[in-house]
Amino acid sequence: MTTTGWRNGLQAGIAALALALAAPLAATAQVNNPGLLVHAADDEPTTLDPAQVEPGEGGETVILQVYDRLLDIGPTSPELIPSLAVAVPSVENGGISSDGMTYTFKLREGVTFHDGTAFTADDVKYSWDRAMTMDLPEGNAGALSDVVASTEVVDDMTFRATLSEPSASFLNSAVVSMVASIVSQDAVEANGGVEAGTPNPFMAGNMVGTGPYKFVAWNRNENIQLEVNDDYWGENAKLDVRIEIGGDPDVRVLGLRAGEFDTIETDPSFIADLEGVDGVTVYSGGLLLEPLHIGFNLNIPEGALPSEDTIPVDFFHDPRIRQAFNHAFDYEAFLNGPLAGFGAFNTHYTPIGIFGHDPNAPVYARKNYAEAERLFREAGVWDEGFSVSVITEEGNLFALMCLVLKDSIERLNPKFRINVLAVAESVFDDAHAQNPLEYAMWAKNADPAADPNFYMQAYQHPDGEWGEVHGFANGYRDSEKVASLIDQAAVELDPAKRAALYSELQTMLYEDPMWLIGAQEGVVSAHRDWLKGFAMQPLWPRPSLKFAFFDK
Amino acid sequence: MQLRDYILRRLMVLPVLIIGVSIVVFTLTRIGGSPVGIYLSHEMTPDEVAEIEARFNLDKPVWVQYLYWVRGIAMGDFGWSGVAAAPVADVFPLKLAATMELAIASGLVALFLGIALGTYAGARRNRLPDHVTRIVAVSGASLPQFWFGILLLIIFWAHIGIAPIGRSDAAIFASIAHPTGLYTIDAILAGSPTALWDAIWHLVLPSVTLGYGATAIVARMMRSALVEELQQDYVDAARAKGLAERIVLKRHARRNALVPTVTVIGLTFGFLLQGTITVEIIYRWPGLGRWMADSVLRGDQATLMTYVLFTSVLFLVVNLIVDLVYANLDRRVTLGK
Repeated sequence: MTTTGWRNGLQAGIAALALALAAPLAATAQVNNPGLLVHAADDEPTTLDPAQVEPGEGGETVILQVYDRLLDIGPTSPELIPSLAVAVPSVENGGISSDGMTYTFKLREGVTFHDGTAFTADDVKYSWDRAMTMDLPEGNAGALSDVVASTEVVDDMTFRATLSEPSASFLNSAVVSMVASIVSQDAVEANGGVEAGTPNPFMAGNMVGTGPYKFVAWNRNENIQLEVNDDYWGENAKLDVRIEIGGDPDVRVLGLRAGEFDTIETDPSFIADLEGVDGVTVYSGGLLLEPLHIGFNLNIPEGALPSEDTIPVDFFHDPRIRQAFNHAFDYEAFLNGPLAGFGAFNTHYTPIGIFGHDPNAPVYARKNYAEAERLFREAGVWDEGFSVSVITEEGNLFALMCLVLKDSIERLNPKFRINVLAVAESVFDDAHAQNPLEYAMWAKNADPAADPNFYMQAYQHPDGEWGEVHGFANGYRDSEKVASLIDQAAVELDPAKRAALYSELQTMLYEDPMWLIGAQEGVVSAHRDWLKGFAMQPLWPRPSLKFAFFDK
Repeated sequence: MQLRDYILRRLMVLPVLIIGVSIVVFTLTRIGGSPVGIYLSHEMTPDEVAEIEARFNLDKPVWVQYLYWVRGIAMGDFGWSGVAAAPVADVFPLKLAATMELAIASGLVALFLGIALGTYAGARRNRLPDHVTRIVAVSGASLPQFWFGILLLIIFWAHIGIAPIGRSDAAIFASIAHPTGLYTIDAILAGSPTALWDAIWHLVLPSVTLGYGATAIVARMMRSALVEELQQDYVDAARAKGLAERIVLKRHARRNALVPTVTVIGLTFGFLLQGTITVEIIYRWPGLGRWMADSVLRGDQATLMTYVLFTSVLFLVVNLIVDLVYANLDRRVTLGK
């Protein structure tokens, strides 16, 4: 090639590159993948079976779209709305018996499952009984079996549940939970039926519901495909859905910027990469109902702690030490650093955004070294110091929260030492499931729920799930009163009285904390501008999106 | 010893070796702790953990667990993958096919690009094109794959928007049958040009990313071999006959230089298979590499054991075949002594 030829070729190449680089600027106005919503998800579901799915796990996202429940939660408020039931039961409409023990649901007529079979009360009974019979350890059957004594088909279009005791949270926490999703009886019976304690492999990988979306395919490690259910009883969804699974978080961000993905699951640490990007909307509204916590273990077995720990096994029995930890934590550093400002301070287990949260109750919202020092001195550990380990999963917000704790405590007094044991998720889950727990502290987030009773029972009651493992009875100043207030609130049907009980509990638990709650993480999402009808509801399973509302 | 007797003897020893390998694989994975963690969720009680352990026979003594594992394998059950949320045996062939397809495509990139660059440089030894080619080749070997891959993604996927990500367009992929698991081959068998184009187009970026590293090895080998060949007497003789330089290069020297180069290409296939881990993660390629990386991070021992057992047995079988081929090619090799 001559010199002129090279030069011409080079010029042509540069021109072509410039055109190519300019092309996407024009393309941003176009809608990519019309008729299809592409959502990039964080992780692979472990199952698609409502009877097997763990609260907060990726499978719930898909179950929310394909299955219906008797009641639902709308996109803009926490109020319950009818779904497969035609009305929300109440004492006034005769749906709830006067003693609060019986709930009767009138069902929607003319609904069909995705396999073409008709929906009846038999399916509701079958679905609930199935979950409770299977009672899988990884699932959430307890949400039903803990309160439901029996189920009954009154007639084809009427279903009744009788409770074991009155429950103020039954509709909010059990009926709308994913485990209460209604599955096709015919489909289950044709594919393995129901066996106690044993998962159903067909239902784990397939879905036959009544929801706005039909299940098409699950290609492991790749994608899940859903299509619009044209025979839906409500307003039809507008877009088919492809959920892209896993992969590098940076690639998800890149894909959203490129317009290849319409919505992505992200966390606050990626928001800086998306703010101000043409064609991308960063959405933040409300708070996740999964407070980020560090647990204090008051039930440490002798000789179990890691060798570098110097604390006695009753270290956290002293409420002053638990309070001092709460005062010393640098909340603002955690909120403005790892959470990028998306979140709120809330130091007790009645999350902001659900019934019963008292905004006037005291919270540990600021680092207060003076108070922390006073309490550590009073407890007699200031001069001698201590070393204590906290175990958590590696590479996520929990580990960062532990590092903030380490920094906060070690800055307060150089004689204090926090050892952050950041381990693989499977190692953490294994350690975390031990009873008694062999670590003094651990960090994670709560399971989400729509009613305060779940949080109080699981995370604060001395005889509750964590109260028992952590030995809360060893440390509460007035263990019986805490238990009594939680138990009263669980069955109190008058909302005003119930709210007052939770308010009292919040103040008590501020003085006597069993957890250090780093923050209540903000709901953060990013999506393309061309997406219409975008709504997030923290009361829906993570990522709190219902694809049926979307259009583009 | 007769060849037939030798084959029989090796085949009889093979199961013993496989059992030995399985014991080693099982023991090594158990040293890392119980595999139950992958099946647990973070709010399980000890009773619930015990139920999960019983479901997967992890509550039995370790040697009994081994027997359950071996019995499962004999029946085609390799356990449940917590990462893929499916039986390992169902997912493994699909992932293997995806990875093999990527490795083969990358090998072809390395083959054609490496030979072309090596030939170009070798024929212009110590001149500017040789130096430029060396820089191109060495950069291929030295650029981290994750960086190069992300760079290509940013340019061709995110910015220009002409290259796709993943392995396929979901709708096109679903429109054909997949008897072999190799998308390109299945597209040809189905007679679908659309699917074939989709398969090839999705292969371009990942195979260039992966193949570029191997290109350096092939190109350097090709260049050295060609330089050596060009100094041989037969090349002088060809030139003396009056053959054009292009013909001397292509028909004589390059052909001979390909012999050692092809040997190297075979060896780089192993390198390509290893490299798929990074490339599959970046490009969301649903293959073994990404699955294994997730399995290592999350402690999915059923999947890891299957993978290690598979590669070990493959190695044993390939070794046997190589021994037999070698003995057949070189009669000086005596069998069984």
